[in-house]
Amino acid sequence: MRSLSGLKEYIKEILTGSKSLVIGMGITFKRLFMPIVTVQYPRRKLTMTPNFRGHIEAIYFDDTKSHHCVACGLCVRTCPSHVIKVQGEKEKAGGRKYGQKYYIDFTKCSLCGLCVDVCPEKTLTFSHEFELAYLSRWDGVIDIMRRLEAVTK
Amino acid sequence: MNITQLPFIKEIYGFLGHDLTATVTGILIILVFVPLNSAFLVWVERKVAGHIQLRPGPMEVGPHGILQTLIDAVKLMSKEMITPKLADKFLFWLAPIIIIIPAIVCFVVIPFSPLMQVREMNVGILLIFSFSSITVLSILMGGWASNNKYALIGAVRAVAQNVAYEIPLLLSTMSIIIMTNSFKMSEITAAQSPVWFIVYQPVAAIIFFISTTAETNRAPFDLVEAESELVSGFHTEYTGMRFALFFLAEYTNMFIAASMGAVLFFGGWHGPFFPGLIWFVVKVYILIFVIIWVRWTFPRLRFDQLMNFAWKFMIPVALINLMITAIVLKVL
Repeated sequence: MRSLSGLKEYIKEILTGSKSLVIGMGITFKRLFMPIVTVQYPRRKLTMTPNFRGHIEAIYFDDTKSHHCVACGLCVRTCPSHVIKVQGEKEKAGGRKYGQKYYIDFTKCSLCGLCVDVCPEKTLTFSHEFELAYLSRWDGVIDIMRRLEAVTK
Repeated sequence: MNITQLPFIKEIYGFLGHDLTATVTGILIILVFVPLNSAFLVWVERKVAGHIQLRPGPMEVGPHGILQTLIDAVKLMSKEMITPKLADKFLFWLAPIIIIIPAIVCFVVIPFSPLMQVREMNVGILLIFSFSSITVLSILMGGWASNNKYALIGAVRAVAQNVAYEIPLLLSTMSIIIMTNSFKMSEITAAQSPVWFIVYQPVAAIIFFISTTAETNRAPFDLVEAESELVSGFHTEYTGMRFALFFLAEYTNMFIAASMGAVLFFGGWHGPFFPGLIWFVVKVYILIFVIIWVRWTFPRLRFDQLMNFAWKFMIPVALINLMITAIVLKVL
């Protein structure tokens, strides 16, 4: 009697086992014809989401045809990693000061975003740059003003 | 036009005679076909694997990456062939040679079409079985000679697995052979001209398929080279062209297993409208596709599961199937 129930169990195991195998094969066969989800990177690139945090960059404003940076230096002083260098100049004595040179050393940047928060003119934002491989450490120094010029042109 | 009437070929033909000419031509074709077939199958495998995992697979070299394996072969040829310091030098050198020879020899008896068979033999099936058993010897040789624990464990597993799965393989083939009363590949093919043997012998076909998957060390029975436990099993220490020979043999064995399946259960070169060669190749590649598909569907078995499956399920079922076949044939 006991051996008979053992045989029953054995056959049942075989049947359920083969059924699950067939289901598994069906799943992979369906996936064989599903669209591909990966991107062939150098040929096609993804657009980053709006919240993506690359290195910082200056925002272009239509009223000045440029950025709004006044070279106050708040970002320089706030930066915990000391990666920002800003230089401003006045066009004439007693006139407004505006940022002329803006460099960041991105190799040391921790992407904390304090510079963006602290900016009184709201002229800083995060770029959507994600290809951040450099050949030397000096390539990591990014000229923000030149990037802005390249965008406006 | 008869090709044997061409002046140059006529001379060779007259000099060697019919049998020898056919053999030499056949062997030349096989030697060209084996590497090309393996290169193509590696590409197919990577493509199927890619699409099952929702990625495109190789795409860069050639249209849809079809030349990728050619480039890989060039890379392998340019690599240094390293022999480990404490390895058994002679056996280490011999193992890749021994693994490729039976793979090529088995091609000799495969009937691609009624006319395209290098050599007709009375014991065609036995020849394939006996030569493909030599593969195990080579795996053990390579694993032992490498003087590496992973290689040795892989080789030992290979021997245990191949011994276990050869029995159901032979038993399932036996049920076909007692139906046809012949070991000849061409006669077995000819016997299935109205109905394929898979209709009469579905159980034997399933057992044959599972055991050939295990015999060729393909997933889910690839414990021999289980890369997550054993680095890459018996060929851990092999580099360059020696490694490539193991790879070549694996895919050639797959082709032979699939063509055995096509001959035994799917009517070989039988089929309407198209010439026999096309039908045979199509059937073989469909079977190979199924083997690849299985590999990318199921996880690898544990070693005790593997052995239990062979001894507790495959062999009893194959034996019962053989007995039923014999009784039915006797009664009819």
